[in-house]
This record gives sequence, C-alpha cells and structure tokens, in this order.
Amino acid sequence: MKTSKCNLSIACLIALVAIVFAVPGQLFGQTAAAESSAGDRTPATRWSVQVDQVESGNVDLAYSFQIAIYENLIVELNKTKQFQQVFRDGDVTVSEARNVLVLKTTAEKYTPGSETRRAVTTVSGATKLTVRSQLLTREGKVVLEHTVNGDVRFFGSNLRATHNLARNIAKTITQSSWSSSGQPTTTVTGQL
Amino acid sequence: MDLFIVSRSHSAAYHPDRRHALWLSTVLICFSLTAPAQQTSQRGDTRAPFSTRATHLLGFANARDNGTGTLSVQGDSLQFQQNGRPGTEVKIASVRDVFLGGESKQVGGLPMTLGKTVAPFGGGRVVSVFAHKKYDTLTLQYVDADQGIHGAIFQLAKGQGELVKSELIARGVTVSSHQDQTTEESATEATRENK
Repeated sequence: MKTSKCNLSIACLIALVAIVFAVPGQLFGQTAAAESSAGDRTPATRWSVQVDQVESGNVDLAYSFQIAIYENLIVELNKTKQFQQVFRDGDVTVSEARNVLVLKTTAEKYTPGSETRRAVTTVSGATKLTVRSQLLTREGKVVLEHTVNGDVRFFGSNLRATHNLARNIAKTITQSSWSSSGQPTTTVTGQL
Repeated sequence: MDLFIVSRSHSAAYHPDRRHALWLSTVLICFSLTAPAQQTSQRGDTRAPFSTRATHLLGFANARDNGTGTLSVQGDSLQFQQNGRPGTEVKIASVRDVFLGGESKQVGGLPMTLGKTVAPFGGGRVVSVFAHKKYDTLTLQYVDADQGIHGAIFQLAKGQGELVKSELIARGVTVSSHQDQTTEESATEATRENK
C-alpha cells in the first residue's frame, strides 16, 4: 500500500516536471511565431527617403514654419526607423543610394494663431496647419498621398503646430499599407 | 652766354631736388593706392566679435532644442554656446539665407502656465493678458559638408534679430530678395489680440 502511494507521488512529480518544461517551450514557440508575424510588417526592401523643403504653395506661410516643418520631419522620420536612411534636400550623397523615395510637402491651409489669445480665451487662437504630403519614387510616381493636419489648440507656442504636423505625417507613412508591403506599386491616398 | 651758363648751373643745382620730388610723389601715389586695400583687410581681420543672448528653438548643429545661451558671430563662424555646455558652430560661408520674423509669447514657461491654470475666478486669464512679450525669430538656412540643407531657428530679444542679420550680411552672407515678416506678422498678431 505504502509502495503504491510512493509510486503515485513519483508519477505526479514526473508529470509536474514534464509540464513545467513543456509549457515555457510552447509559450516560447508562440512568442517566436508572434514576433515573426510582426516582423512581416517590416518591408522586405529597405527604402531610404529624401525630405524636400516645404513648399508654401498659395499659402502665406512664414519661413520659420517651413523650416520648422522640414526639420521636424527629419527628426520624426528618423524616429520611426521605417527608412534605412533619411536624406536632406540637396544632399549629394543621395545619388549613391538605391531605393530612394522623395517626400514632398506642400502647404494647403494655414490659420495663424496667437499664444496669448489661447491663454486668455482657451477656445480661440489655435494655430492650424494643413499640408499635402506626397511620397514619390525617383521617377516621379506617387506612392502615397495624404492630406495631414497639425495644430496647437491650448498650450504651447505657435511653432508647436509644426512638430505635431511632422509627427502626424510620420505616423501616416508608418501606418500606410505601402509601409507594410514595402513595394511602391500602389497609390494610397487619404486624409488624417 | 652768361644766361646759358646760369641756366645750366641752375638746372644742375636743382635737378636732384626735382628727382627727389618725383620719387616722393610716386611713393605717395603708391601708398595712396594701396591704403584702401590695407584698410579693408584690417576691417576684415579685426572686426569685433558680436554676441547676444538667444534661445535655440531647433535645428542648429548639435545644440539642444529650447536651450538658452549666447549666439555669437566670431571670425568666420556663427557659434551658439549653451549655458554650461560645449558650444556648437556653423561656418558663415555655409549660411545660405537669413530670415527675420516676430512672435508674441507668454512669459514664465510651464510654472507660470500651471499657476495660471489653478488660479481661481479666472485670475490666470487676466494675468495672461499682460504676461506676454514680443520676440524676434531668426531663421537660418545653411548647408552641411554634403550640401544637405539645414534650417535653424533662434528666438532673440526684440531688435536683436536685425543686428545679427546685419552682422552676418557684413560678413558676406547673401540674403534672398524676400520680405522679412517681423513688422507684418507683429501687426497681424496685434490686431488679432486686440479683437
């Protein structure tokens, strides 16, 4: 009787040990599978991007705003790690790089705000920016086209709108279907 | 005959003086011709460095954004030295354009904003009406070694932007034929604030 009890406890112990070793392996396998599926979102071909200077279009956009959008775009696109390299406008080394896309940004609408007015009234004085953002191949084929907004409504200086706008543009590019396919074959248009 | 002798002796006596006068005038003419050149080179070499307090908003070399420091034009470079940090510089020759702008900002930063938010009976809003200051914004466009275009924005005390711009122009920076937005922008903003 005592021997059978002992055998039972040994069997239980072996089963427990087997479960302990088997489950993490299974979990590890699941994690690896999940990682590989997430990894599939990364484009097979790593593209680089050249950021062109912001065109004011028909909008009376202050030059400081144009420069701020341009500089913030470079920072935000680098942060996404979506592109192999982010080139500046005029960079001569871009000719040596392969798979380069060009990001063109044209101002469409600009509502100048006032920090003081925002602080006093809260509901008015917002600085609003709307731009058309195009991602093109070197041959001029449009890969991605979006109208993106950026504004500052409550706290912060007027230039903060450019930071928000650049972040939205980078987000749009990251979330676009082009980004997951990695092939500039389809034209994606939309508004954010 | 006498006259001839006198004349010869006279000529002989005064000839060296004439020659000296000629030499002297030649030397003087040479000096006067080279003097402006010397003056120009001296101006270029010994131009006093210019510096002013500024807040770096973004884009200048490796300077930290929204950092306050000293913006100076020294020799052939434009430098920005943040408080307690190593300075960063850009060669004046690489500056492609300079733009001036103006902006009205609330003073006091985050602590003041928080104070105004929690102030009772809308007291913070009343404070906001008076707690703003006008600044100049100096926007620079420059290129790096690979000819890539960079932009930098500085915020300076009212009136200082024009001085920095003039200093850069005096050191050879060419400015494109655009209109600075200082007066225009300030006027628009003032109108909006008075509404």
